[in-house]
Amino acid sequence: MATPAPNPPTIRAVENLAWKLRRRQIVGSRATALETLLVLRQVISKSKFSNMEQLVTIIRGVGRRLVEAQPKEHSVGNTVRKVLHHIREEYHTATQGTAVTATTGFSISKFVLLGQPRKQTAPPKTENKGTLKENDPDDPDSFARGLKPVLMEAIQDVLDELETVYDNVSKNALNHIHSDEIILTLGMSKTVEHFLISAAHHRNYTVMVLETAPSYGGRDMAQALSAAGISTFLVPDSSLYGLMSRVNKVILGAHAILANGGMFAITGSLLAATAAHAHCTPVVVCAGQFKLTPLWNLYHEYGALDFGDPSQVLGFEEGSLVDKVDVVNPFYDYVQSNLIDAFITNDGDHPPSSIYRLIKETYDDEDNEL
Amino acid sequence: MAAHSQTNGPPATPTPSHPTQKSMTKAERRELQEKQRAAKLAQKQQPQNADSPNKQKAKPKSDAAPRRSTGAAEKQSSAADGSKSHSKDTPGTAMDNDAGTSISRSLRIFSHFVLTKHGHGVKGDIHPCIIRLALQFSEFRICGANARCIATLIAFKTVIQDYTTPPNNTLSRHLMTHLSPQISHLVSARPMSVTMGNAIRQLKLEISGSDIDMPEQDAKDLLCQKIDDYIRDRIIIADEVIQDLACKKIKDGDVILTYARSSIVEKVLLSAYKQGKRFSVIVVDSRPLLEGKALLQALTSTPPVSWTLSSASLLPPPPPIPCTYALLPALPSLITEATTVILGAHSLHSNGAVFSRAGTALVAMMAKQHSVPVLVCCETYKFSETVMLDGFGKNELAPSHLFPAPAQAPNLETLNPLYDLTPPSSITAVVTEVGLIPPSSISSIPMALGRMNL
Repeated sequence: MATPAPNPPTIRAVENLAWKLRRRQIVGSRATALETLLVLRQVISKSKFSNMEQLVTIIRGVGRRLVEAQPKEHSVGNTVRKVLHHIREEYHTATQGTAVTATTGFSISKFVLLGQPRKQTAPPKTENKGTLKENDPDDPDSFARGLKPVLMEAIQDVLDELETVYDNVSKNALNHIHSDEIILTLGMSKTVEHFLISAAHHRNYTVMVLETAPSYGGRDMAQALSAAGISTFLVPDSSLYGLMSRVNKVILGAHAILANGGMFAITGSLLAATAAHAHCTPVVVCAGQFKLTPLWNLYHEYGALDFGDPSQVLGFEEGSLVDKVDVVNPFYDYVQSNLIDAFITNDGDHPPSSIYRLIKETYDDEDNEL
Repeated sequence: MAAHSQTNGPPATPTPSHPTQKSMTKAERRELQEKQRAAKLAQKQQPQNADSPNKQKAKPKSDAAPRRSTGAAEKQSSAADGSKSHSKDTPGTAMDNDAGTSISRSLRIFSHFVLTKHGHGVKGDIHPCIIRLALQFSEFRICGANARCIATLIAFKTVIQDYTTPPNNTLSRHLMTHLSPQISHLVSARPMSVTMGNAIRQLKLEISGSDIDMPEQDAKDLLCQKIDDYIRDRIIIADEVIQDLACKKIKDGDVILTYARSSIVEKVLLSAYKQGKRFSVIVVDSRPLLEGKALLQALTSTPPVSWTLSSASLLPPPPPIPCTYALLPALPSLITEATTVILGAHSLHSNGAVFSRAGTALVAMMAKQHSVPVLVCCETYKFSETVMLDGFGKNELAPSHLFPAPAQAPNLETLNPLYDLTPPSSITAVVTEVGLIPPSSISSIPMALGRMNL
């Protein structure tokens, strides 16, 4: 059946966001995820559909448009996939009338059946509503009307999860940070900042922050941490190897977590992780689950990175050099999974080897290609 | 333990208490000290209790001070003794009395990094060109192991020429005492580099070996000649030999990666270019010194060579060296492009480690991971007999008046260590004037030169 035409306000909202992403007016995984979610809420509340496929096609179309606008912001696609996953769940609950609950008892047959990865299920919102009828010729809107309130709640769930990311990641901070430790971090990551500040309420420790040229995000991080009362040292990136022998733990933030357990992170993270590996220092990554991306990266391709403004590295004040020299300023690094020891997410701690399972549980396979 | 020592309370019998204290381990004594200090703070009005901390210290010097009963004097002597018995604690002793033990621990870890004080007065009779040199060092106008050594030796030549032997003294004995305060003045501006140390040691050897019967002016001229010879042999000619050896390792089409600015690496690259090899260079740089920009200037401002006539055809001038510039965090993206990594060094150590500009260790580590050969170009006079295990042992912080901290806040400190140590496992070979040697053979350099000359 043909997709009903989307109405103009919806198109406008989607296009607005797409242009903001393209112009990089919205940058950062959490900010883009929130904006995407709001746009999706608007799309779903205003769109007309009379069966499931139409709804999925609409959302997929929106997702494709946004991902094309800024392919390097992976959390946009992740949010769309998560919403689709929740929608399908609600739909199954509503039509089949039985909730897909996790099995509590243990038996061999169930164990064999459990070979399929456990789906992340939200508690069912609808009771036995087998009355939802698709493609009703008399009342084309009945399907949409019945399903929309439930969908809105599902989106609200995702929104709540996004908004409480920092608190949930910091819940376990005390398990990871001990007294009198020296922690190394770099760049500016709000997740890591909240994590460290929440541990500082109960423990006394020191943080060394790398400046992370040329964005110098480390300076903001050092300001924030020292304002919270943590004794902080701001050091240039070059002193990383020399200081690593005294560092107890390295805590990094991520831009996107990939399906093979690796991650994209701000440039400088690969150097820190490699130096920590050489000194056998544990490397821990704090990230929300909205950063999980069903992408694989086996090689560190130049094209997988993003590039920043070269004048931050060699500005026009070195006028005589500018036209004779190539300047390279990559913005992200790809860190391999063998260099990372643990991912601390808002849904618990996971080793890199089980990230693929998390992705299978969070998203549906058919959504990997929007 | 505490109760046992407390019974030795009366100050009249200090001697029986000392054998018991010496039998305690240093850690136990320290714990005791901390406890006593806390007790002393709590009961300031009872001077008898305050007596015991002084006796708990194992140093015999504390014997002189235990009988004072005023709290202030005790605090002073205990602080002084604390600094002598636990040198690591120097900033910590005052702070341990405060609540923040975590602050004092972090500062304690870095407290042995030498922080030079600038703008202090000139003590004693210092030659004006040494004063000028010290100022240039502290302002970082002369930077780099070779440059500092050459500048020091040239300044010493002037000092030697201006020196007159006082009556009833010989040049060979008195000149050294004359030079010592000059050397300390230079060290107070910036800690002595290994190169300066080796050169000064050689100079002392020459001075003490000078002939007593020679007339003074002849002796001074001979010393200046020896200094010139040292500079020529160990630095200038050594550099030329290293250039030849290293150029053999550069082929057409190579991509050479280097870090910051080393005088010898610059010479190697320029001489390879003059020999007609076509290669490109990646310069990786980092704060706080950002020396790589100077290297870029040197590489890109090679004077245009005119058209050359060769075997009856006119060849166009060679294109300038193509250069790429990036900051240190971008290194992993660029290391895959490099075919060779050439680095400079501040000093070599006998366990094969290379002490060099901060950041060099990272470059060597990433290169080793990607199987890119790492060549360290270094003259033999930079060799030091000590063993260095990590960059924490001996390091220097960039002075904060030249490299101001970008932000000021309570709880926030800025550290700019200038050096770090590259372990021998990351280095493929060291290019010296005695040849290309693997890092494990660095300790046999003195043998290769003949023991005399190091």
